[in-house]
Amino acid sequence: MARFAFLVHPLTRLQSGVVGVRRLNWGMVFGASGKGAASGKLCDLWVDGLVHGEVVAVPWNPVELLSDQDGAVDAMVAAVENLEDVSAVGLGSLLAVVGSRGEALAERVSVPVTTGGAATAWAAIGNAEVVAKTRGCDKVSVLGFGGAVGRVVAEGLSAKGFEVIVGGKGRRLEREAAKIGVELVTPEIAAGASQVVVGASTTGGILDADVLQEGAVLLDVALPPTLRKGRLPRGARVLSGEAVTLPEGWKRGFWGTLYHWISGYGSDQIFACLAEPMVMSVMERTEPFSLGRRVSLGDVEEFADAVTCLGLSPRLPEGWDVS
Amino acid sequence: MQPNDPEIFDVVAECFAEALGLEPEEVEYDALVIDELGAESLDLLDIVFRLERAFKIKIPRGGIESAARDGLADDEEYEVNGVLTALGLERLAAAMPEIPSDSFQEGLKVSEIPLLFRVSTFCRLVVELSESKDA
Repeated sequence: MARFAFLVHPLTRLQSGVVGVRRLNWGMVFGASGKGAASGKLCDLWVDGLVHGEVVAVPWNPVELLSDQDGAVDAMVAAVENLEDVSAVGLGSLLAVVGSRGEALAERVSVPVTTGGAATAWAAIGNAEVVAKTRGCDKVSVLGFGGAVGRVVAEGLSAKGFEVIVGGKGRRLEREAAKIGVELVTPEIAAGASQVVVGASTTGGILDADVLQEGAVLLDVALPPTLRKGRLPRGARVLSGEAVTLPEGWKRGFWGTLYHWISGYGSDQIFACLAEPMVMSVMERTEPFSLGRRVSLGDVEEFADAVTCLGLSPRLPEGWDVS
Repeated sequence: MQPNDPEIFDVVAECFAEALGLEPEEVEYDALVIDELGAESLDLLDIVFRLERAFKIKIPRGGIESAARDGLADDEEYEVNGVLTALGLERLAAAMPEIPSDSFQEGLKVSEIPLLFRVSTFCRLVVELSESKDA
């Protein structure tokens, strides 16, 4: 059976507490740092006879990860070295960011490491396409063109025939926008230019909510979220841009069910970044679909072809288009 | 402006190039990291990580702002509602000598400080941190 691992870390106090309970680290339960503790299994997620995934918690909080990237990479290396018989490792949240976006970890371990960028872009492109076609829009805005995911989402939507407006600035981005035939404007103008907006900026909280058009749909893949707190314009809504359907026969057990809830997946979906190492292990693929800044439209298309083996597809919440 | 230490600049430029997907020749000493090189916050993290490894130093998060605030008795001497005071601007300018003085305009927000960063800012940090490590 294919086996993969997905490394995660607590983002909130609640998540730290749950990791503490699961790992019998009572200090973490009562608010102490988990930085000195070993990583360990949070839950199993699996499809009988096909694939088995182990979600492993690296118990560092966001501030600790960002202020000690070298230590964070060491902790991830230790976590990977404790794994048995996995053929791919995926990185969640800030673990996919620190250490040169997974490259430092990949240099030090023998199992393939992937950061989920191709899967995230695939889901965002698919979800944006559905929203745009439902709304009868031929124009989509993409924020975060400076990042690898934002860039490939823009390129992918442009290749599908949409008029794409991207948000960003700088000579490098001007050149890249011209290369793929998209219009580069400021993020504020981009966000207000279309009814369908993909939020892929790697810097969260970049915009006030009122820059969106009334009735617009923001498909957010950013962490932290794209918008600062504030009231959305009338009829506008924010949806998770990287949500993906559950594989058929998906099982999770008690801790996996809890993981689904505290990570924000909910009961009927996963986020795309979990799908990438899963697909790699089923396909016995040793080359990551994405790592560091490396994710191309070709990688996304390869992932799209490969993901059919698990029957996954991008997912929007039921009733998303109901006012 | 030319780099004070071309050897250090070459390594810094290489780190920027790798983090941003550029050619090293595209990284100019005076370039604004966000507005001209197109860096986002993740890129800054990556740049810091690469510099720390290349030069075997530790770049503290928020180090520039800490240096600017150092010794002030009260946060309100430095900023009010996220906007730098006149003293705050003066202290920030002193902490960032490589930045043209006309960049420190009244109304500058704390959240906008990263927009001032240039490649030369990181060159200076590398030199200072390397020297204090060796001292």
